[in-house]
Amino acid sequence: MLLLAAASLVAFVLLLYMVSPLISPKPLALSGAHVVVTGGSSGIGKCIAIECYKQGAFITLVARNEDKLLQAKKEIEKHSINDKQVVLCISVDVSQDYGQVENVMKQAQEKLGPVDMLVNCAGTSLAGKFEDLEVSTFERLMSVNYLGSVYPSRAVITTMKERRVGRVVFVSSQAGQLGLFGYTAYSSSKFAIRGLAEALQMEVKPYNVYVTVAYPPDTDTPGFAKENQTKPLETRLISETTSVCKPEQVAKQIVKDAVQGNFNSSIGSDGYMLSSLTCGMAPVTSITEGLQQRLRFIQKRHKNQLHLEPGAVSAAGEPEGRRQPLGARRLAVWWERLRRLIRQCSAA
Amino acid sequence: MLLLAAASLVAFVLLLYMVSPLISPKPLALSGAHVVVTGGSSGIGKCIAIECYKQGAFITLVARNEDKLLQAKKEIEKHSINDKQVVLCISVDVSQDYGQVENVMKQAQEKLGPVDMLVNCAGTSLAGKFEDLEVSTFERLMSVNYLGSVYPSRAVITTMKERRVGRVVFVSSQAGQLGLFGYTAYSSSKFAIRGLAEALQMEVKPYNVYVTVAYPPDTDTPGFAKENQTKPLETRLISETTSVCKPEQVAKQIVKDAVVVTMGLFRTIALFYLGSFDSIVRRCMTQKAKLETVDKTA
Repeated sequence: MLLLAAASLVAFVLLLYMVSPLISPKPLALSGAHVVVTGGSSGIGKCIAIECYKQGAFITLVARNEDKLLQAKKEIEKHSINDKQVVLCISVDVSQDYGQVENVMKQAQEKLGPVDMLVNCAGTSLAGKFEDLEVSTFERLMSVNYLGSVYPSRAVITTMKERRVGRVVFVSSQAGQLGLFGYTAYSSSKFAIRGLAEALQMEVKPYNVYVTVAYPPDTDTPGFAKENQTKPLETRLISETTSVCKPEQVAKQIVKDAVQGNFNSSIGSDGYMLSSLTCGMAPVTSITEGLQQRLRFIQKRHKNQLHLEPGAVSAAGEPEGRRQPLGARRLAVWWERLRRLIRQCSAA
Repeated sequence: MLLLAAASLVAFVLLLYMVSPLISPKPLALSGAHVVVTGGSSGIGKCIAIECYKQGAFITLVARNEDKLLQAKKEIEKHSINDKQVVLCISVDVSQDYGQVENVMKQAQEKLGPVDMLVNCAGTSLAGKFEDLEVSTFERLMSVNYLGSVYPSRAVITTMKERRVGRVVFVSSQAGQLGLFGYTAYSSSKFAIRGLAEALQMEVKPYNVYVTVAYPPDTDTPGFAKENQTKPLETRLISETTSVCKPEQVAKQIVKDAVVVTMGLFRTIALFYLGSFDSIVRRCMTQKAKLETVDKTA
């Protein structure tokens, strides 16, 4: 009886897998696609631009500083795969004035055609105690991180809906999945991005436009280095319970999820757990999205070397490495983390 | 064997239940407490003020329109339970300028004493398709709903932390738990309130200050009536899948809460993480306090 139930469950899951590609979004072909990346002159944005460029896309970089834009353009162009590819740079503050942003998008579309994928990566961070943060910080972070994502999205969404194809990527943060000490201003802005994305996805789904929200952990970028300069001790200690990621890693995952049309994009095992816990009522855009992510994660683990230093686990590390039984490795990591947590709890 | 495991699990859960009141926050005594309600001149805010007043609190109502404030004051005063209770009205736009809000809180504290509970109920709503909403709406809703909660909270939090007692209530929305068609501007502002509340709670927990986030459904208020005037069809149809609540109902629940699988395993681990974050914060707090006393004696 139990065997029969188990067998039917397995059969059902297999059926889902077979049907899933027919009802999932058709992956976006990056080759020849026009990808706009705001905040594309450094950090995660630049890595996302590189990742898309490697797959044949035409890139428009949007940021404020013209020198940084040109430097980024040179770096991206090293990864070209054919002669036709172009990197266009436009300098604007995406949070300042909607009219300006609209013009910038028009310019980009005149030169490189309609936008296939928009990546909203422009953002900044500041950590500090609620009563210590300058009052203007709350408005400033919300303006850059939230309005700076609203304006570009609004400028391209109508065309995407008309063409019945598009991807809009928002870069939130793990601090946009849970509020942490010191992030009253930052978490709010990153939570807001999630609310925007969920509501927007519901509006554009019938038009074959898919929204992706990425929740990167602490990532080794110039922005992160700047944030660390004024970070309170408590925030630093809490952040040390997860490891710092490389922006290339983060970018790869985000582009993969965006192309596939997945709503949630998380990085690593911590990211997966946090996304599962905080998924709330977030949409899934393919029936087996969760299962597929899980399988990809297991595959990656098989290829990677596992470091047992506390907190230092790379989800996509060096290809060469010791191979251990998957289950034992993962169990060891969680056990080590749990022990550290319990030690910290009891030390209080 | 299985029976033994089940029995110990049940015993463990019962033990948790018995221990829980000892480690839960001590309920706030509303009688004689000073409760500030922003957006208290109508809707859910007014009902929250009434609910607290019925339990003996001293109320400060904060809103923009002076006439509506006075009307609300008259209505609230009908529910007094003793002669000492006071309803104070102060007119200000809580989202405009932090300095003004700080002054208002100072005024209120001079008249009615330090704030025991702050209810951030000032907010507005507008529904419409993403590309149809006026561009200024995004900034406006974020300003009223989010900054209008940040400023009053910031003005009272230091005193609450010093007194080691306080409640800060944020009124989010069910649209702050999931994004819905037509609510790109509104959901974002209500999600932001949740992020603010979670981060703030982690900062103030060792100081015995507790944060509550309320997620009311569609509630029968003047604000809701106004929202309905321009609501797109899709949003209206989606909203009809839940019923409209009475504001008195919502207020009762909010005040009550302010005053007490694969998922299971993850949630347990998450609780460990949160526990460890809380202990980090507590440790740093006691260390700072020690350093301060050392500085003073040096």
